[in-house]
Amino acid sequence: MSIWNTFLVWVFVLVSTSAWSSVFVYWTGSALPPAKELGLNDLVLSWNDSFSSQVKAARKQGYRVYVEVSLHQAAAAAKTGTSGVEGIVLTVRQSERAELEKSLPKLRSAHPKLRFLVLNPDAKQPQMRGSLVVKRDSVLEVSSPTAQPWIDTNLALVKIEQRSHQGQVPLYTFSWGLSDPRQQQPAATAMDYLLAVAEAGAFHADLILQLDERLQKALSNHDAEAWTLWNQVRSYARFYSDEGGQRLEATANVAVVVDDLDTTDEAMNLMARHNIPFKVLLLADLKSGNLEGFNVVVVFAKPDRGVSERIADLAAHGETVVLVDAHGSYLWQNRDAVRLNEHAVAYAVGNGKVLELSEPVTDPEMFAQDIRRLLGKESVLLSLWNGLTTVAVPYSEHAGTLKVLEFVNYAEEPLRLQVQVKGSFASIRYETPEHECCESLSPVRHNGFTEFVISDLKIAGRVRLESNRAPDSPASRE
Amino acid sequence: MPCDKRRAAALISFFLIASFVQSSKNQVLVYKKKYIMGTVFEIAAYDQSSEHASNAIEKAFREIVRLDDLLSNYKPDSALSNLNRSAHFHAEKVPSDLYRVIDQALEFSRLSDGKFDISIAPLVNLWKAALRGEGMPSRAQQEEVRGCVGYEKIELASPDRISFRSSCLQLDLGAIGKGYAVDRAAEVLHSLGIRNALINAGGSTIFAMGSPPDQTAWLVHLRDPSNKIDPQVMLKNGSVSTSEQTAPSLLGNDLAGHIIDPDTGTPLKTEFAVSAVSRTATESDALSTTLLLLGPTKGKALIKSVPDVSAIWISHEARVEIVIGGPRILFGRGLHSSISLGRIP
Repeated sequence: MSIWNTFLVWVFVLVSTSAWSSVFVYWTGSALPPAKELGLNDLVLSWNDSFSSQVKAARKQGYRVYVEVSLHQAAAAAKTGTSGVEGIVLTVRQSERAELEKSLPKLRSAHPKLRFLVLNPDAKQPQMRGSLVVKRDSVLEVSSPTAQPWIDTNLALVKIEQRSHQGQVPLYTFSWGLSDPRQQQPAATAMDYLLAVAEAGAFHADLILQLDERLQKALSNHDAEAWTLWNQVRSYARFYSDEGGQRLEATANVAVVVDDLDTTDEAMNLMARHNIPFKVLLLADLKSGNLEGFNVVVVFAKPDRGVSERIADLAAHGETVVLVDAHGSYLWQNRDAVRLNEHAVAYAVGNGKVLELSEPVTDPEMFAQDIRRLLGKESVLLSLWNGLTTVAVPYSEHAGTLKVLEFVNYAEEPLRLQVQVKGSFASIRYETPEHECCESLSPVRHNGFTEFVISDLKIAGRVRLESNRAPDSPASRE
Repeated sequence: MPCDKRRAAALISFFLIASFVQSSKNQVLVYKKKYIMGTVFEIAAYDQSSEHASNAIEKAFREIVRLDDLLSNYKPDSALSNLNRSAHFHAEKVPSDLYRVIDQALEFSRLSDGKFDISIAPLVNLWKAALRGEGMPSRAQQEEVRGCVGYEKIELASPDRISFRSSCLQLDLGAIGKGYAVDRAAEVLHSLGIRNALINAGGSTIFAMGSPPDQTAWLVHLRDPSNKIDPQVMLKNGSVSTSEQTAPSLLGNDLAGHIIDPDTGTPLKTEFAVSAVSRTATESDALSTTLLLLGPTKGKALIKSVPDVSAIWISHEARVEIVIGGPRILFGRGLHSSISLGRIP
């Protein structure tokens, strides 16, 4: 990549990360309300025959317009259809990733004034699911019991996107589930829209929000109910739009190493679901990358000699490395093995250990719980009680102390949440889209951890943590 | 309330939604879900009016929320938590629902000679810590905590007083509370004129009222850890509950588990998942845990003393043990080709 291209990428990164999260509106109807009314300025349109006139109309209404195209259409769209367009959204499927790596630098170089955003279109509608199954003959069936509420979350996808496209804030979209397959009607409620915006915001990702046709129509027709819903969506989008001068990074003390960035990986999904803060790395990162701050490294790839040397080194320095289904001869195997069960052995290496699981992950739920156990009580960054429907993401400044915790409650109903976070914090301030900054929560500190209670987490909440510079509070148990 | 029935492969491919309405002749089907008692409660109800069905479901949910406020041992201000704090050598007055559910739980304790025991909480908590990776409890710790367990130390004085003849006894209604809540929710629906509905407490306890239009019963697929049997039951005004021990750790030894055997004081080791089919959700809920703890041989013997109950034990290796004293348990993908493996003589 040329210096100029590198410069462009970083300019793009800086511009694109000025907010924690942006919501792009995907509009398919005709009568588009003005951007001022909608309260969101980024509009995504499909590339079609009437595209030019749509762009013109949308720009008149005050929008920054993006055109959504497939990777194969990108060059043609960039060449012919970009008058008045802010950028191009490239819909990229899993199978097109390799092709994208080649095409994207060329596109950016050929069209330096256009923003090119890579879109993952395979996200899930965020939701808490039940277990009833609707059959076509209208008979309801019930499958087996689940250990805990099943949550469809896009956190793992966002983490994979962060590694896939390092120069871009992850951008995804999803289609709404259908309430009744025979009626072909989307089931999105106000709560569903809010949850979608909250999820992307909490994960510091950008979202292309698809508005179902009924909502588009109702908004165009100035329907009061629709605008009440939309004003809530606006307030949620605003809640995540301003980073307040804080440049934060997602904190992780678990590294997940893969050789293929597969966004459908269930083990990562379940780790996200269990609030295990992890970062996705490629095998090559393991050779050269800075792995400081990780307590556990999970390797879902077969290491070569260089990587296995790094693994041995990491273990020697106290980390726990888990190798999954990576049969081979490795340096640490000349030590005594402790058989953990039929499929797992452990090798003590220096201050740490290497665990080998001889088969693929058969039970991602149990695997995630195992990883949490391996972290040990002292290294767990974040624990929730009464939080079975909640996903939390910790953020810090430059891998330093924690600054912000974002919470998303997929049950969409008020929840009393008990939180324990690693570190000693004197001040805990809580804010939500409904009641912006800030409610002070009472911290209880003990043994290097801080506990507090969020009494009423509905869908979205943010906690700002201030380090303990003052003497311990009366509540402190240290 | 702890999620005491659990485990499963999530084999669910489906549409999941906040609510939906679908027509079937003159009946509309209304579906809603709500997170209560640490699980997802779902109710699907047929009625001529979707608005009426929707309101009835909301009232049923409110009843479950009310019961959670009484029966939860997670909520510090619940009636159960209050009882756990203050009933040691002191007769505490309790709400009628709490009295009722404890009374029924003790019946199952007596029936199973203590295998079903709501005073198991201190042992459950001890092993929960092990599940979280806080190390295995020592034998001394186990012995100490076992001294706090024993259903016979719970004393009921009708109509509403309960005391514990122990200084450290604690109750956990996780193995029966959801079933009780499902039964009460069914009563609410019935009182509001709903005759055909399905109530699902996280998949672990399901109660079927009536049947869907043009059907003779609700078809319910049961837990099959082997994925080879596909057991099913046609439920009409009945309930099914499933229990299974926590899956073994992939990266550790598998000593821990959330279902504790009162006889040993340690997590139950079993190859089976159990489904119990019964007339009420309270009964099926309590029985599924009891039958898991007893195993097939003793479990079959116990079921002889309980009318209208069927049960099936299935292992990961597709070993099946079945007892039919109530609704038939069917096998296979097509009901016509189904077989029944046995019946109580």
